[in-house]
Amino acid sequence: MADFLTSTHRSKWIFVPQDLKEKYKAANHRAKQMLEKYGATRVDVDLDGSLAYPELQSDVKDNAEKHSRSKPLKIDEEQLLRAFYEFKIQDVCDAFKFPRKIQATALIYFKRFYLQWSVMEHHPKDIMLTCIYTACKAEENHVSAEELGKGIDQDHQVILNNEMVVLQSLGFDLIVYSPYRSIDGFIDDMEDFIYSNNGQLQHLKDLHETAKMVADKTMRTEAPLLFSPGQLALAALRRSNEEHQVVDFERYLNKILSRQHPARPVSELTIYLNAIDQLVNKLVTPTAADMKHIDRKLKYCRDPGSHEKSKKRKHRSKD
Amino acid sequence: MAGAPYGQLNLDESPSWGSRSVDCFEKLEQIGEGTYGQVYMARELKTGEIVALKKIRMDNEKEGFPITAIREIKILKKLQHENVIKLKEIVTSPGPEMDEHGKSGGHKYKGSIYMVFEYMDHDLTGLADRPGLRFTIPQIKCYMKQLLTGLHYCHVNQVLHRDIKGSNLLIDNEGNLKLADFGLARSYSSDHKGNLTNRVITLWYRPPELLLGATKYGPSVDMWSVGCIFAELLHGKPILTGKNEPEQLNKIFELCGSPDEINWPGVSRIPWYNKFKPSRQMKRRVREVFRHFDRNALELLEKMLTLDPSQRISAKDALDAEYFWTDPLPCDPKSLPKYESSHEFQTKKKRQQQRQNEEMAKRQKLQHPQQHARLPPVQQSGQAQAHSQHWAGHNNHPMGNTGQAPLTTGGPSHHQYGKPRGPPGGPNRYPPGGNPNPSVGGYYPDRAGGQGGVGFSSGPYPPQPRAASASGPRGASGGYGVGPPNYSQSVQYGGGSGTAARGPNVAGNRNQPYSWQQQ
Repeated sequence: MADFLTSTHRSKWIFVPQDLKEKYKAANHRAKQMLEKYGATRVDVDLDGSLAYPELQSDVKDNAEKHSRSKPLKIDEEQLLRAFYEFKIQDVCDAFKFPRKIQATALIYFKRFYLQWSVMEHHPKDIMLTCIYTACKAEENHVSAEELGKGIDQDHQVILNNEMVVLQSLGFDLIVYSPYRSIDGFIDDMEDFIYSNNGQLQHLKDLHETAKMVADKTMRTEAPLLFSPGQLALAALRRSNEEHQVVDFERYLNKILSRQHPARPVSELTIYLNAIDQLVNKLVTPTAADMKHIDRKLKYCRDPGSHEKSKKRKHRSKD
Repeated sequence: MAGAPYGQLNLDESPSWGSRSVDCFEKLEQIGEGTYGQVYMARELKTGEIVALKKIRMDNEKEGFPITAIREIKILKKLQHENVIKLKEIVTSPGPEMDEHGKSGGHKYKGSIYMVFEYMDHDLTGLADRPGLRFTIPQIKCYMKQLLTGLHYCHVNQVLHRDIKGSNLLIDNEGNLKLADFGLARSYSSDHKGNLTNRVITLWYRPPELLLGATKYGPSVDMWSVGCIFAELLHGKPILTGKNEPEQLNKIFELCGSPDEINWPGVSRIPWYNKFKPSRQMKRRVREVFRHFDRNALELLEKMLTLDPSQRISAKDALDAEYFWTDPLPCDPKSLPKYESSHEFQTKKKRQQQRQNEEMAKRQKLQHPQQHARLPPVQQSGQAQAHSQHWAGHNNHPMGNTGQAPLTTGGPSHHQYGKPRGPPGGPNRYPPGGNPNPSVGGYYPDRAGGQGGVGFSSGPYPPQPRAASASGPRGASGGYGVGPPNYSQSVQYGGGSGTAARGPNVAGNRNQPYSWQQQ
């Protein structure tokens, strides 16, 4: 069977925390260097899908003046920006009433994309839309680019222009596994586990619903790049079970482990689940107000020209 | 702001993955052309490995990267099996590469995307159409078995191929057969609620339920196509060659009888049943038309060409059919003759000439589809005879085509067919587990190691033929006629020119974007 075990998701896109740190650092460093050298970081995606990087400014003096004004984003600022747009992805998907599966796919595409690019190079707003668009295609829930653009008041051409760079950055690995199906599976399994009578079935439903909401949050952390969908699902269920107290979770973990990996101790799994829990606890959802400062910074370092213009505009409004 | 290519930035860190450039390959020659795009034979510069490059056509796409290509990539990356073509990687040619028509308009991506496949020498139709070439029964069994094994794997993984036909079954010189062209394929699940389009599968291989407008269907659609191919291989030419959809249905009914609530419960509720139901009652004539087939072949064919899709045999059950376990047994792919590859000897000029000829033929054939004068396989005529010597005795008869080398060299090799059938099939004829690295048959070594394609674990599909047949009697391989120098181009990675020449294609639906609701 072709499944998660044989997937590119497992072989290529599950990392250890140190990997992620290094990748974020490398992308940030590259954009910083670009800003120093060229005074701008924006990577243009041409109409034909090819990429154009900033050119060396001929007027060095002018250039030096510019980049003294444009400060690059710090790694944690980049992280915050991504977090903001990841929240947005769920927002947009909810507005379109897309199934959770699409949301999860779009989020994972977005995360994978920014393992190799800095937000200073490709604006996360554009990439967010393209990730949603591509996820819809890949999950057989097609929405036209125009419709998607219209629904959120964005130029649909931007969505299409970025499609190639997104697909290439994903290495065309389009099948992703989300925790939701695993949650469904575990819930089915628990039904037998607790020999449920009707009352308990209702509890199980509550457990299920809360777990899905926990998973929504989990999807916005780094956990999907670090853990398998099954582990994410169990962590969500455990958290949900703390609230609903439907099953003896420890016993349940023992049961599934003895069935699937008799040699592996529960304690090992518990360490993973705890790590996922911690990531969920740490999750912050930046507000638009939080973003203001970072957003401005981003604008300036992506394209100092806009800085000039906005300055001029400011002047004008003062006059 | 435009301009500096990335390399000139000379920064330390570059994106660590993404797709390679097509410049890693040297295009050798075009080996196929269809509505989908061109297919090239190419050599990887670094390794010297020969591959096939299938260009993904990007023009005429309002919706960016074609959904059909997304499906094909997704499905091919998921499927790792020795009887499914291996997608090695995807490469891009960045930057504006003008297409042939010099078009550059619009907001479209003008760079090109190529899927890189392992190279295969032939396709089944191309082979079958070689003048003077005739398949032996063990060879047909061998191909059928591989076809069914690959298809069963697809179905177990919830993928419908939806364009099974000879030109999409590629064959290498190790005798391996692989399903290719998943451009119309899609994933399904038995609890799939949505409707699927019925505008799939090349007309001659399209099952009656699709022709009657069904939008809920499953793996059985592919099994009808397999039945058509099976009969075609034994019969020597395509069996149901309608010019249009009503005619196709009519031909099916003439062969398989008219459908009614008795032989196909629920048929009257299929959308266009009333429109297309035959005015007169027709009898099923499969056994009569194909009475020259042997008993087991006929029995299996009957089950494949069953009108009611719910009663049609599955790939898994077909693999268990007596046909594959009675003499002559399917031969070992490796024992099959190595046919000359068409590419190496063709000059560019010859190719162009040939393409022009094919174009002409295509135009003519589209107007008047003709039946091919293909040679039927060597097989016993008359009554089914399990006796091997009797079977072999007919082998030396070069049917029709004099001047070509006869199929068998005669001699003692015939007796090999008389070998006993091997251990009687137990409850399960396939050894459990045991598989298989889905490695590509020795011809081109597996390169895509990073894809996690290390053996799908013991799934419920039969991974390997049982030993008895894998090492089974060789076909009389010494005696194949070598085709004349101008045999037709035989490799098409789907949608090739020869494909189109062979009959109405999928009613043109490859050119049109599908409606998104019905897929």
